[in-house]
Amino acid sequence: MSSESVEAGRPSERRRSSRFAWLFDPRLLTTAAGSLVVVFLGALAQVSFGAYSMTFAQAWGAVFDPQVLFNAQAWNAFLLGGELPEVSTESLIVWNIRLPRVLVGIIVGMNLAVSGAIFQAVTRNELASPFILGVSSGAGLMILLTLVVFGGLSAFLPLIAAAGGATAFLIVYAIAWKNGTSPVRLVLAGVIVGTVFNSLQTALFFFADDIGIVQSAIAWTTGSLTGTDWAQVRLVLPWSVVAILLAVIGARQCNVMLLGEQTAKSLGMSIEKVRFGLSGVAVLAAAASIAVAGIVGFVGLIVPHVVRNLVGSDYKKVIVGCLFVGPALMVGADVGARLALNPVQIPVGIVTGLVGGPYFLYLMRKKQNMGEI
Amino acid sequence: MVFNVGSLRASNGSEDAGDDTPTSNAAEGGASDLTGEELVLGYPTMEDPVVDGESIVAEPGAVTALVGPNGSGKSTLLKGLAKQLDPDDGSVLLDGRDVHSMGTKELARKLGLLSQESTSPDSITVEDLVYHGRYPHRGFFEHVTEEDQQAVDRAIELAGCDHLRDREVGSLSGGQKQLAWVAMVLAQDTDVLLLDEPTTFLDLHHQLEVMEIIETLRADSDITVVVVLHDIEQAARLADRVVALKDGEIQARGSPEEVVTEELLAEVFRVDAEVVPTDRGPRVTPLRARHDDENDADAVEAENSTEGETRR
Repeated sequence: MSSESVEAGRPSERRRSSRFAWLFDPRLLTTAAGSLVVVFLGALAQVSFGAYSMTFAQAWGAVFDPQVLFNAQAWNAFLLGGELPEVSTESLIVWNIRLPRVLVGIIVGMNLAVSGAIFQAVTRNELASPFILGVSSGAGLMILLTLVVFGGLSAFLPLIAAAGGATAFLIVYAIAWKNGTSPVRLVLAGVIVGTVFNSLQTALFFFADDIGIVQSAIAWTTGSLTGTDWAQVRLVLPWSVVAILLAVIGARQCNVMLLGEQTAKSLGMSIEKVRFGLSGVAVLAAAASIAVAGIVGFVGLIVPHVVRNLVGSDYKKVIVGCLFVGPALMVGADVGARLALNPVQIPVGIVTGLVGGPYFLYLMRKKQNMGEI
Repeated sequence: MVFNVGSLRASNGSEDAGDDTPTSNAAEGGASDLTGEELVLGYPTMEDPVVDGESIVAEPGAVTALVGPNGSGKSTLLKGLAKQLDPDDGSVLLDGRDVHSMGTKELARKLGLLSQESTSPDSITVEDLVYHGRYPHRGFFEHVTEEDQQAVDRAIELAGCDHLRDREVGSLSGGQKQLAWVAMVLAQDTDVLLLDEPTTFLDLHHQLEVMEIIETLRADSDITVVVVLHDIEQAARLADRVVALKDGEIQARGSPEEVVTEELLAEVFRVDAEVVPTDRGPRVTPLRARHDDENDADAVEAENSTEGETRR
């Protein structure tokens, strides 16, 4: 008996060592490092190239311009929207136009990836995306309504879009509720609401009398980072911090959720509360990203997949992995969206779709059983 | 492990452990009792309830087996006891308290359930799976405590899956998976354990492994076990008390010798069988299936013979 307990103590030691020991999983560290490299290279390209031409040296000189970097007034301008100090043109372009776009891409990538990961756990379906519960269609409809019918409100477009997404989610939940919900009913209700809202959205296109409005609507509904600056960072950052923090905390609930409804219930999980709570966090993250970038497809669907293949199915690692891989995909795709057809910029959602589709095809071919986690 | 059910069964469940002092309910750490009173259980999609007003008492510290043919409502009854299914009427009492007045986590610290079909991500290790059994014992932000580790180590040892500890669940056979799941529900460290057909679909070796675990729990006498079993012989061998169901009604209850009889097999399971008492409990040899036309006359006969002692 005593020898047995000594042996049994071995794995326990490992657990006891530290609360955050799981973070030092080599697979997770490699994933994070690889993603950081991609983000860095993406940022390098984004900062160096553009309509105003400057050399690498000039661009990176501007990035590390001490006049900006150590200037409280500059940071005040960026983060709180104050008055911008007097700096060189290069610094102004890099810091006010090119860098914030990268930053928004990073935040949006994190939000979408985490949101998708949570929805895949909640529905126990690998094909779930942040937009599966009607969020995109609700947001899309409100975008069209604002642009076409209530033109005067377009200043509030980001907030209206996010609110529309959240409202659609609540409608989906209400439809799915019948003595509680189930993943299948939630997904079906999402499809129903999505169909109706998308029809309405398409109908609204006919009432747009200006090609500019149509283009703007398309940019919003496919997702674009064009023209994002510090205002967008300020808008999205607080919500994202909250959503990501809650997601990291909720990872353990996701893990238990993956054991199936019955087991989760018998382990004492208040399954409806947790499901609604987690969905709420995921919708918050998705809505925040919609508010600044529109409806960027595929990121939330693919990134959790990639991460799960890289680090395994432990959701604590999946969520953290998503925080790195999401930005990598988003920033990488935005390089293509902004620079590939220079000077024309295309919505980044088109690029993520072009990259994501084939990758998904590859996954489908490679893996035997897609679908269930 | 040697199954010496016959002699054990003669004594009271709480004395089985030998050197343990006999426990009473009031004593600290005494076995819990679980009672279902006048339970009416059904599913939202069905019009008629599956179980219509049955009462069941799980004897504290003992093993109660629910047996019955397919669709007899034994799993439904178990789900009702586990609060997985809300009863349309009646109540479930755990140590005298209505389970619906208890918080979900509080209940999960006292009552564990092993469901018939359990799913998990393939890449999770057995150890991580077993750690999930500690979920109800941990607060929202709490980290793994020493107590958790000990419970997990104990559960893994009791379930005999220490050699599987670092394996991924997806790579295990059906029987090994079941042992891992049993370990998980053991790690929950509950006073009452409900097991829904833990041996079905397992090969002989793993059936016996699971039965040995239940035997150990029974010898422990601190844990009240209710187990749904498909195999009536297993039930007779394993349980202190057997409850037989048919069409959602309890047909008989009592010790295995009282319940597992040729008459009951004819009436409840609609089979002709030979039941021979042995020291390992009654041995059941099924002979042939009964068909409806010959049922009526025999059923009356069977009913008469079981009515006296065992029928409600």
